[in-house]
Amino acid sequence: MRAALLVVLSLAAGLAWSADVSLPDYERVELENGAVLLLSEKHDVPLIGLRAVIRGGSVTDPVDKAGLTELLATVMQKGAGERSAAEFAAATAGVGGRLSVSANFEAVAVSAEFLSRDAGLMIGLVSDVLLRPRLSEDEFDKERARATGLIKAAKDSDPNDLLSYYANGFLFGEHPYGSPSIGSESSLPGIEHEDLVEHYENHFGGDRLIISVVGDFDPAALKARLVSAFGAWAPAAGDLPVVTAPDTAPGPRVLLIDKPGATQTYFWFGDKGVAIDYPQRAELNLANTVFGGRFTSMLVTELRVKAGLTYRARSAVNQRSRSGSVMIQSFTETGTTIQTIDLAISVLGQLHDGGLDDAMMASARNYIMGQFPPRLETGSAVARMLAFIEQYGLGRSYVDEYGAALAAATSESVAASIGEVYPGRESLVFIIIGDADVIRDDVAKYGPVTEMSITEPRFRP
Amino acid sequence: MSLFSELRRRNVIKVALLYAVASWLLVWIVSQMVGSLGLSSWVSDYVLLLLAIGFPVALIFAWTYEITPVGLKKAVDVDQTQSIVYKTGQKLNAAMAVLAVLGVAALIGEQLLPEFVPPPPLVLEEIPLKPVFDFSAKAAVPREITSFNLPNGLEIIVWPDHDIPNVVLYNFVRVGGRNEYPGVTGIAHFFEHMMFNGSENRAQGEFDQEMEAAGGANNAYTSNDLTVYQDWFPRTALEKILELESDRLMNLAINPDVVETERTTVYSERRLRVDNDNFGRLYEQMRATAYVAHPYQNPVIGWPSDIENWTQEDLEGFFKTYYAPNNLTMIFSGDVTPEEIYLLADQHLSAIPRQPPPPAITTVEPPQQGARRVLVETAAQTPLVHFAFHAGAEGDPETLHLELLIAILAEGSSSRLYQALVEDEQIALDVGAWQSGGFDPGLAYVAMTLTPGGDPASAEARMLSLLEQVAAEGVSAEELTKARNLRIASFWRGLQTIDGKASALGNYEVFTGDYENLFAIPEQLAATTAADLQAVAAKVFQQNNMTVGVLRAPHDGGDE
Repeated sequence: MRAALLVVLSLAAGLAWSADVSLPDYERVELENGAVLLLSEKHDVPLIGLRAVIRGGSVTDPVDKAGLTELLATVMQKGAGERSAAEFAAATAGVGGRLSVSANFEAVAVSAEFLSRDAGLMIGLVSDVLLRPRLSEDEFDKERARATGLIKAAKDSDPNDLLSYYANGFLFGEHPYGSPSIGSESSLPGIEHEDLVEHYENHFGGDRLIISVVGDFDPAALKARLVSAFGAWAPAAGDLPVVTAPDTAPGPRVLLIDKPGATQTYFWFGDKGVAIDYPQRAELNLANTVFGGRFTSMLVTELRVKAGLTYRARSAVNQRSRSGSVMIQSFTETGTTIQTIDLAISVLGQLHDGGLDDAMMASARNYIMGQFPPRLETGSAVARMLAFIEQYGLGRSYVDEYGAALAAATSESVAASIGEVYPGRESLVFIIIGDADVIRDDVAKYGPVTEMSITEPRFRP
Repeated sequence: MSLFSELRRRNVIKVALLYAVASWLLVWIVSQMVGSLGLSSWVSDYVLLLLAIGFPVALIFAWTYEITPVGLKKAVDVDQTQSIVYKTGQKLNAAMAVLAVLGVAALIGEQLLPEFVPPPPLVLEEIPLKPVFDFSAKAAVPREITSFNLPNGLEIIVWPDHDIPNVVLYNFVRVGGRNEYPGVTGIAHFFEHMMFNGSENRAQGEFDQEMEAAGGANNAYTSNDLTVYQDWFPRTALEKILELESDRLMNLAINPDVVETERTTVYSERRLRVDNDNFGRLYEQMRATAYVAHPYQNPVIGWPSDIENWTQEDLEGFFKTYYAPNNLTMIFSGDVTPEEIYLLADQHLSAIPRQPPPPAITTVEPPQQGARRVLVETAAQTPLVHFAFHAGAEGDPETLHLELLIAILAEGSSSRLYQALVEDEQIALDVGAWQSGGFDPGLAYVAMTLTPGGDPASAEARMLSLLEQVAAEGVSAEELTKARNLRIASFWRGLQTIDGKASALGNYEVFTGDYENLFAIPEQLAATTAADLQAVAAKVFQQNNMTVGVLRAPHDGGDE
């Protein structure tokens, strides 16, 4: 009887998530130089998460200097303000803090997490990195050589990590989205120290800055500290480049990358996708969750669970400000390459033909909302989200109204998004890494093949 | 017409009786809920009060109004020839009978249910976890953590945290690569896959479908010592998750067809992690060389011929022996109370039969008698050089000393090895170090990726001189402070999330025998001296205790 009562009560709860997820209250302050501060208190643990975003990112790389922004992000950490590279690293680690600078297509971001008591020191270090990096020639030479070496090391490791660089290059060509953000063995030697310094001056400044801080702090004191650290930062000398919508060559076409002796073939196929402001975000997320975004997805069920052809299969929709990509990615033993790719293509066909029925819709909604709260559990996670919605002008409704958008989506509206966003079987672009001698002839059935070796010093044929 | 017959005619007496029966049933249900859901006792008092107030209201209502075919009307306005009070009375009789039967059934049902003793009263006052950075003080064990055992030996620990409406369940199964032998290496990891592949009640795939449809996600990992199952879900899915976990533990199906498909999936995982990844290839050879007797020599994913050959009998025996409740520890953290977990666990997990304890692993790795070497030749632009030294088990006191020493050597870009080998000398692209102790003594492991065309022999010599230096000269006071701060920060960082809490609590419980040891870390850090770190360096970093591995392209570095 007790159990029966519990069952009745849990049924009564209805939806499988307790409440819509919402962002905590936060304060937004715009400084005179254009910098935006986002502050939110969170006092459960004595930690502070900080995210500083500089608009720009790898799309600002000159076309012949791929990897410049990411290399700059690395060298910025190698000595800043009064501290040498070693002293800077020791200052952060000495208080158990974390501070890293990374670049993506549309921003350079500083992420820091530290104990509340160290806020003064750590905000000072963040402002040193952004406003006063030393960018010394010695550190530049060293990090440029290391970046080249790390690409070679990646080619000795799991090929999955390389697929996206080849795919962006093959898909977007000369457009900034086609450039490998990590650079290539051929582009990095062409970058000089003066390029780095000039790029910093052109693309770093107060007008490009968003800084969000979430955690255990006194807001008035923290705001004063941030204003004094960043309020007088001059604007960047250059203009923020306007990225145009990419114009991609249509599929079908195949890029085959030879890795002699590979016992497994690694593949990616897809096409151009949609921009970050695509209005049917809920529909797209529902579709991708069911198609290839979770363990019970159509792709995993067919390729792994039923057929045992692979350990992993997934699909993703990557969105940037002007476009993105839609892709399916997996791998299989060399001998089952064609069987596996054919099966993945037929699953894409099922998505187009069948869409999502009511049970799939309910399951995907519950899954997305059930897994949402942990994504905003820590101060660092909230700081990251606040900076993201500010960067893309999405507003807090991006989080607060997402549950309602999921609830409002219908099988019909999801089907419309699938038709609009997912490529058809006939126009796919393929990236295949494997033992070319074994699979070369067979993959030609997917389209005209361009072939290169994995040891070639670039990610584009 | 007497008052009494008019009371009867207007069904007032039946309403009174029905009200009494329904109230009695309601009070009974509420009192059960108070017991099982851990509600305050004032809830039943409040309900009783409301029912008492409602009684005269119901009687006056019954007297004043009548149900007619066109709806509710005042009794005085109803044409008595059209009155249907008789029919209403019959319905009231039926309702009373149904309620009475329900009540009697509930009473009988309650008597038939097995009695169990609820957990002892708990102090459930929420103590916000405030860290103690004064190293002289021990971090208080949060009082809201509760642990108990079911009669079948299943150990359960609950850490309530109501910040987000979600729950994490970690199920630690005490079996891993350590429990394997030639012929069945990789079986623990394979079993991790089979646990998602159906039961007598659920076809392959339904476990995951039901969990994800309820908003939950899951994963699992297998190590040398453990197989750990993780569920992350909204609290609304709690009962569903317990039922799913119970079903696979009690009724697992080992379908031979599914076993064959899963073999090829695991083989694909092996190709991914080992065969087509240079790091994975060298690491497997290193472990196989560093151990000559202890099962830590086997790869957790299994040797290829074993993946192809384990049998149905192997799998069935494995499940019965190791997935017994007395070999499990379950951790719940998040938006739950210990009482509800106790009741649900008792209901769903107590029927799993206890088994004899699994056979003990008695093999002790004999002391190493000289340095060992291993060479892997394969296509490689960046050679790898790895070092493995025998060290302690997870529960050994010197393990924390070694952890701090390793942080000084290789954590982050301020570390000694990174500064020397990556920054100053540019011999290596990257360097990392960790220890892998479990129930039995593990390895202190140092790995470097050389710059393209780098010379493995000179890199090896340089690394050894740095390790010998720390053994001979020890560490500085600043380095010790840094290592302690890194460790204490990671301690609190781990406790920011319900996932981190479940993981930390479970690992300390399983490896040290008591989760409370987790909260002794600040105190232990305070007690650690530079001399402790030098002592462990001198003990571990000896050439006689070492295996060196090199991976390079054929005909590269001629000294090999």
